[in-house]
Formats: sequence, C-alpha cells, structure tokens
Amino acid sequence: MQVPLKIWRYDPVAGQKKLVEYEVDAPEWVTLLDVLDLIKDKVDGTLAYRKSCRMMICGSCGMRMDGAAVLACKTRMYDIVQSGHVPVISAMGNLPVVKDLVVDMEPFWGKIRAVQPWLDSGYSDPGEKEHVVSQEQMDVIHKESLCIMCGCCVSECNSMEADPDFLGPAALAKGMRFVGDARDKTEVERLQSYSGEHGIWDCTRCYFCQERCPKGVDPRDAIAKLGAQAMAKGIDTDLGAKHAKWFVTSAKTTGWLRETELVPKTQGVVSAITEVGFAMQLFKRGKVPPPVPPHVAENVGEARALYDLVKQQGRDGAAGIVQVEKPLGRLEFEHEQEGHEPYGEGSFPRPQPLLGEDEAPTTQ
Amino acid sequence: MRTVAYYKGCLASLSAKELDISTQALAPKVGLELVELESVTCCGAGDIHEAEPDFYLHLNARILAYAEETGADTLMTVCNVCTLNLRQANHALKGDAALLDRVNENLEAVGAPQYSGGVEVLHLLWLVAAGEGYELLQEAAHKGLKGLKIAPFYGCQILRPSKLLGFEDPDKPSSLERIIEACGGEPIDYPAKIKCCGFPIIQAREEVALAELIQPIEQAREAGADAMVTPCPLCHLSLDAWQLKLREQTGKDFQMPILHLSQLIGVAAGLDGADLKFKRHVISVAPVVEKLSV
Repeated sequence: MQVPLKIWRYDPVAGQKKLVEYEVDAPEWVTLLDVLDLIKDKVDGTLAYRKSCRMMICGSCGMRMDGAAVLACKTRMYDIVQSGHVPVISAMGNLPVVKDLVVDMEPFWGKIRAVQPWLDSGYSDPGEKEHVVSQEQMDVIHKESLCIMCGCCVSECNSMEADPDFLGPAALAKGMRFVGDARDKTEVERLQSYSGEHGIWDCTRCYFCQERCPKGVDPRDAIAKLGAQAMAKGIDTDLGAKHAKWFVTSAKTTGWLRETELVPKTQGVVSAITEVGFAMQLFKRGKVPPPVPPHVAENVGEARALYDLVKQQGRDGAAGIVQVEKPLGRLEFEHEQEGHEPYGEGSFPRPQPLLGEDEAPTTQ
Repeated sequence: MRTVAYYKGCLASLSAKELDISTQALAPKVGLELVELESVTCCGAGDIHEAEPDFYLHLNARILAYAEETGADTLMTVCNVCTLNLRQANHALKGDAALLDRVNENLEAVGAPQYSGGVEVLHLLWLVAAGEGYELLQEAAHKGLKGLKIAPFYGCQILRPSKLLGFEDPDKPSSLERIIEACGGEPIDYPAKIKCCGFPIIQAREEVALAELIQPIEQAREAGADAMVTPCPLCHLSLDAWQLKLREQTGKDFQMPILHLSQLIGVAAGLDGADLKFKRHVISVAPVVEKLSV
C-alpha cells in the first residue's frame, strides 16, 4: 500500500522547522516505525529519530502522531491509510528538540534520578535466605513496574507545560514503584521528598499521562497512590494535601463541600485575607455561598459512620487505590450506550493494549 | 420522557446554582425527567480519592445506591469531575464481586441502601449529544444562536481516561460542536479545547494553574469566539471567576463570557432569564445576550 505522511523536520544548525510530506510503498502490516525506516532507507537518509528494540520494550521511539504521543513501533498504519487521513508526525512535547523527531531526554532523566530510582533496603548483607515478596505485595507496584521510560506521559503533561520543574508523571510513577516496594526502607523519606513544591501536589489531574502511556502504567493513579500514602503517613502540610483533607472533613460533617471555607483551610487565614478583594467580587455574583447555616445533606450521619467504619478496616493510603486496580484493569475501551461509536470519521483509536497487558495479575 | 436520577454535585448546589436551575428548566425540553437525590454527598472531587481512597469508594457507592433506589437505570451528572469519580467507582464495584460485597456490608452497617450494580453514570452532555436526546435537542433549540461563535471547552475528566469515559475520541471530540451547531451557533476550533483549566490546583499552585488557564481563553479569543461553553462547573468557575486573576497578573482583560452547557442549549431553546441566571456570572454575558436580541 502507499503510505503518505507528513513529518515536522527540524534542522538544529539552521534553526529551521518545516513540514515535509513523504509517501512510500509499504506492506499492509507496517507500523509507523517501519515507515520511518523506509523513508530513511529510500527517500531521505538525513531523517533523525530514535529506535532500538522495535517491540515496545526499549522505550526509544516515543514521538507524536497528530499531536498525541505514541510509540512508533506500536502504531499500525493500515487503518489510517485506508481512511485516507495523512498523519502529521512530530517530536514529543515538553522536551527540547535536538533534531527532527529526536528530543533531549536529559531533563527527563534528571527527574528520574531525583526520585532516587533504586532500592534502599536498609541492609548490606543479604543474610542466609532470600527475602520473599508475596504476590500481594508485588501487586501494589505491578503497574508502576511496567514503565519503559519512553516519555510519552511527559510529552503531554499539562502541569509540566506550565511548570517545567514539575517532577512529572514518569518520575513520580517511578517513585511509587519504590515507595510501594515491600523491601524498601525509606518510604517516609521518599514521600517527604516527593511532596515538595514541584512534586505530588503539582499534578493537575488532566489524565493525559494515563491516556498516552503505551504500557498501562497509569501514572496519574500512581501519583494518587503517592498522595494517599503520604497522607496516611501524616505528610500533609502541603497546600494540596490540606485542600484534599478539607474535602474529607466536608464530606463527613455536612456531606457537601464547605466551599467558602476551602480557601482559609487550604492557604491559611492570613493568605485568605489577602484574597478578600477577589473574594468580594465573587461574593457579589453569589459565588461565595455563606458558610452559615451549612448546606447539610440528608442522612449525612451515614457518611460519617462510613468514614469511621472504613478507617478501622485498614485500607488506608495506597491500598485503597490498589484494591480497585484489578477490576479497572479489566476495562476495555467501551461505552455502554448501544450502537454508539466513540471514534468518528477522521479519528483513530490510540494503539490498543498489548495482549495480556490489561489482565490483572492473579494472586497465588 | 426518560427518567434519570439527578446528581447535581457540590458546585451546582452552591456557587454554580445557575447550572442546577438551568438544567432543571431545560430537562423536559430534551426529554429528561429528573429525580433529584436528597441523601447524597460530595463525590470527593478527586481529592478524597487521593486523601482517603477507601472512603471515596464508599461515598460513591452510597451515591450509586441511592440512585438505584429511585428505580432509574441512569444517574445523570452535570460535572466532569463527578462523572469520572462516579464512573470509576461504579466500574470498580461492578468488576469485583468481593469488593462490592464488602462495600455493601459497610453500607448496610450504617443504614444506607445497598448497591447491586444496576446504574450507569452518564453526563448530561452525552444524553443530549447522541440518539433520541439529540433529536429532541434539535427540535427544542429552535430559537437558535444566530450564528454566534462559540468555543467548546471540554475539560479533562469527561474525555480522559477514555477507558473509563469513552463516549468519544478523547483527542478529537465532537459532541459539543454537534450541540453548538444544533443550537444555531458556529463552533470555533482551537488546540486547547481538550486541555486542563488548572482548577484542581488553583488553590495549592495558583501560578501553575493560571498558566494552564490562560491557554484556552487566549486561543478562543484569538479564534474570534463570542463565548465559551463547558460541560463542567469547575472549568466554569476557573474560566469565569479566575479571569479576574488573569487580568490582575497578566494585564490581559479577555472579558470572555463562559456558558454552562445547560445555559447554551437553554438560550437556543428559549429559556428566559430567570432560568438562565446570567447575573451569577463574574464575567458579563451581556455582549452575548445583546447579539442575540438584535
């Protein structure tokens, strides 16, 4: 079949960017990476991109197709060609472009190093017997362990775009991989370190990382696991943690968010006072509901009792999220509305999960 | 008429009452009979999911159980964040019998109804963007937006993660555009329409949040939009109220009117001012109203 595509070329010497269209003859089974190889072999040997394993394990060939980060080796071209759509290929986002589709991964690795991605077991002598880790303990970090550090999650991270110092989804997911490791002895120190200014609470929950990850790591969920675990360990002085705590307090006292008190409870009274001018403008429009009398949900006693009950059941912190990973992992892309097709004309499903990748591990 | 349990969530009960009022007024025109839930709480807005995830799961199970008790098979939401939180809990509970049993035991222990998994959580947007709801919308929106240029802003948690939401292509959504067209408006295209408004961190990391927020508003303005529309009250609060902060910090005064989805359809369907409550907006909607009254 004839495969047409457009590539954003970048020449670092001239500092010039241009969109170039290519068309190559290729077998029907080709991936985007195969097509790039064909272009490089037969059309233009100067095209630059990274690749290595060609089988979705080395994490080298992250790039954007129509603005969305993909692994080139995981992206089949057949359906796209059949539709007549000519995709636009470009380098990943949130990282400096070196040439064509090659980005400088150094900022990425710097953040990975910052989370100390190694096991700190607290002992140097392995002892006489191996330390057995149960399947249940492994389940806590199963998804985070799948990361191949391709950078697809970082490419579209909305918080990192706004704050380039944000540790970001890949590094934080890597952090969770060690926080949740039963053999690691530095959990609290790690959580304190990841809770800093550019850490856990910088995440804006845009879920682009979750959408883009080609390996099912679900970095946003990993960040939520870190937040939950930090709060369970009493590491809760960041404004983000205080904000989250106020929702819990609201839900178990009035049932609904106590919206007007959210600002002083998150930022402190002094900071809230400096916001009075802004608050008054909102007040005039009815955007600052009076806290008294509180808006209380009917039967809110049930919510309070639920809080007390679940607190006794020992699923605090990350465990509360780990417990739903299996049922959610079995979810396929679907919508229950009968006959509804989520992908309309001119749009394509993201690369589907690998066979078996979405199956939850079984407990032995 | 399709009977749905209606979960309005925190904001529509409080600072975004105009969303609740316009939704209730619009519902019969698009074939929806709303059964409001009285005994439910906040869904946790992602915050309880992160602070106390087990409590989050139980709170949402309780909401689903009360929805099921009404006899409706659909729980309608009007907020992206509620939609994701409730769908996530719903899928987890439906997909794990042991987990559902444990949660039900706890619900029973506190005197709440139990949940059998019989409810589907659907956002108002989805109910009126396809099928019968869309046909009724096309009929109802007769008054028309008179070619008004509207920038659709989806927000995050109605698109991603698509495994849990999945109504449409998360990168090329078209439901809002379809609705704008049916209402006689002209949808404006711009890249940030699927990006984040920054609201979840607007208290904790205002500077980062504002750097996110400015993108859609600035792009919509440059693309010539008369107004923006969003299906999420958190996006609405951020886009509308925090425009003042953007003006303070960047000197750019966009004066971009922001409409709730129910207001946009409501205008086209001829709802009157008492049901639209534009006076509750921080950024004046008057320019839009003037254009329509000419």
